[in-house]
Amino acid sequence: MAEVQSPIAAVKVEALVVMKIIKHCNQTFPTTATGALVGMDIEGTLEITNSFPFPVVELPTESHFDNAAPNPAASAPRVKANAAYQAEMIRMVREVNVDANSVGWYTSANMGNFVNMNVIENQFFYQKELNERTVALVHDVSRSAQGSLSLRAFRLSAKFVEAFKENKFSSEDLQKSTVRYQDIFDELPVEIHNSHLITSFIHQLQTPSAAPTDLPPSLAALEASPYSKSSILTPNFDNLALNIDPYLEKNCDLLLDSIEAHNTETNNYQYYQRVLGREQQKINNWKQKRTQENATRAALKQPLLPEDEWQRLFKLPAEPSRLESMLNTRQVEQFSRQVDAFVSATTGKMFAAKGNLLPGEVAK
Amino acid sequence: MADSFLHLARPLGPVSVGTAPSTAPLNVVIQPQAVFSILDHSLRRNADQNRVIGTLLGTRSEDGGEVEVRSAFAVGHSEAEDQVEVDMEYHKQMLALHLKANPREVLVGWYATASELNTFSALIQNFYSGQGDGTWPHPAVHLTVATEAGKDLETRAYISAPVGVTAERAADSAAFIPVPYELRYGEADKSGLEAIANAKDTEERSTSIATDVEALERAIEEVLSMIDRVSRYVESVIDEEAPASTAMGQFLLNALALAPKVEPADIEKDFNNHIQDVLVVSYLANTIRTQMELSNRLATAQLTLGGGESTGTGGHEGQRNNQRGGKGGNRPRQDRAQAEEARA
Repeated sequence: MAEVQSPIAAVKVEALVVMKIIKHCNQTFPTTATGALVGMDIEGTLEITNSFPFPVVELPTESHFDNAAPNPAASAPRVKANAAYQAEMIRMVREVNVDANSVGWYTSANMGNFVNMNVIENQFFYQKELNERTVALVHDVSRSAQGSLSLRAFRLSAKFVEAFKENKFSSEDLQKSTVRYQDIFDELPVEIHNSHLITSFIHQLQTPSAAPTDLPPSLAALEASPYSKSSILTPNFDNLALNIDPYLEKNCDLLLDSIEAHNTETNNYQYYQRVLGREQQKINNWKQKRTQENATRAALKQPLLPEDEWQRLFKLPAEPSRLESMLNTRQVEQFSRQVDAFVSATTGKMFAAKGNLLPGEVAK
Repeated sequence: MADSFLHLARPLGPVSVGTAPSTAPLNVVIQPQAVFSILDHSLRRNADQNRVIGTLLGTRSEDGGEVEVRSAFAVGHSEAEDQVEVDMEYHKQMLALHLKANPREVLVGWYATASELNTFSALIQNFYSGQGDGTWPHPAVHLTVATEAGKDLETRAYISAPVGVTAERAADSAAFIPVPYELRYGEADKSGLEAIANAKDTEERSTSIATDVEALERAIEEVLSMIDRVSRYVESVIDEEAPASTAMGQFLLNALALAPKVEPADIEKDFNNHIQDVLVVSYLANTIRTQMELSNRLATAQLTLGGGESTGTGGHEGQRNNQRGGKGGNRPRQDRAQAEEARA
């Protein structure tokens, strides 16, 4: 199969977009937030220079964390009204010299649970309807709250788009097209880019005043002074926290959900197999009967009955699509990688803490 | 009430200079997104433009005493010697679009990318603070972010009071009153700012997003350098090279007192429990992944054994499927038990 090269090799995100996405995603957390990205692509690098959120209908609170419930925000990017909104917005920002090409959309995720039909359909919509060169940026709110920013760019792979277009997800089709769950998304490297002004702004934040400071007169004064507050630019010390339980618990919950989904899919498939087997059995019985009948008729020199009538009499059940289980597997992969990354950091931290508290142990 | 004062003062137009300045005390909080938007707009201005302006959106506290600037959008305008044109139609449309997506934000004022305040500023300010489309009865916040090359980025916030000698001049005059502002960022913005700040010293002004371990490494390095700095300071105090400070000493002592006092055996026990939990979860997650992958592989591979034409094969397949299903049925229960354990 000819490998079609993805038209985009990397994604470069402006600092402005990063901040805007973070703001929007946090505002609506834990509901999914979506929005549009504008920018342009230059020699294989997609530069995302601005973004704006999509309007959403306010959701009742009980639908949180429930992906099965219809979620207007998650499907927002491909809703007609929003396409109009996006067109209008782009027309507006063009007037103030902002890049006016739609280059994709962004969504928020909770612990990496973004592999679902909504995301696939949105991205498919973007890649097919609007522009081949579009990406989905996924900002993981929970993971970003853990310390380091989690912003990833995805595209649907050419193979998958091909299959999805014709909805070919039966076992046979999958065998032929060799689409595997690893092939659903292409992940693109994300880079953050600052403008000169932002660079100087950040430098200025870092050095608030050049004047030498006097020593504080008292403890209270010291604690009240700006120096005891952590500065923006230091690395996030939340990283050093040893508290892992909420994170792992959430991950376990999500994994359990996935197992459940997997079970449902397997059961569906089994049911299909059983029904198929039964139908086959019936057809075979019928065929045997017909052959016998025909043999008798031939002996009695009567006209033969048609042998292919079974096609009209029996209907074979349709094979359930394997897309859901594929997505589910991809999702589980995502979770387990997440756990792995987390565990590697945590074990490091824990050994460090132990070495610190029990200095003798390290020497051994 | 400050607001009722404005209520009285505005419609009257020109008022004597003496009564004007006592407008509402106002604290302006700026979120970094807004500043970034303004800076981006400043970069995208037309070559002949000295400054650009735009609308500030955000929230106002209940009593109107604090304004939080959350986002901003650009508005086209052109300035000549004697006249200024602001695309008000654009502003209105954009505002409507913006409010659709952010229903909780309101118009709070406007920004300009030069620190100069002139007649045009007053004119625009009066528009933004006016009745109808403006922020009336609240004061409009005017934010100037000087983006002149070669100078510091200087941010200033103002509100205005009506001033003017005659009724005709009232429209294009205003007394700008500086108000305090602070840059505030939430917990969530922190990780983003951190990532952005990583690029601040690189030549190409860009950076890739760090993985968990990299972020951890950086945090540890930062802590080490802080410890170094503190110990250097302490040493120089001991050597009597730097002036001593009781407050500083107390502060450091307090920090040191935070180190927990626990029995080594307890640490050992907790450590082992903890690490086992973590590793079990990791192991299980990977097992689940492998199982699912295997199951999917089997599901798509089985047709190579036969087309499913004959009953024999069909039955066989069904059986195997049953077996797999059975395993699938047992597995989650085990996993769940173990996961619960890990959680506890």
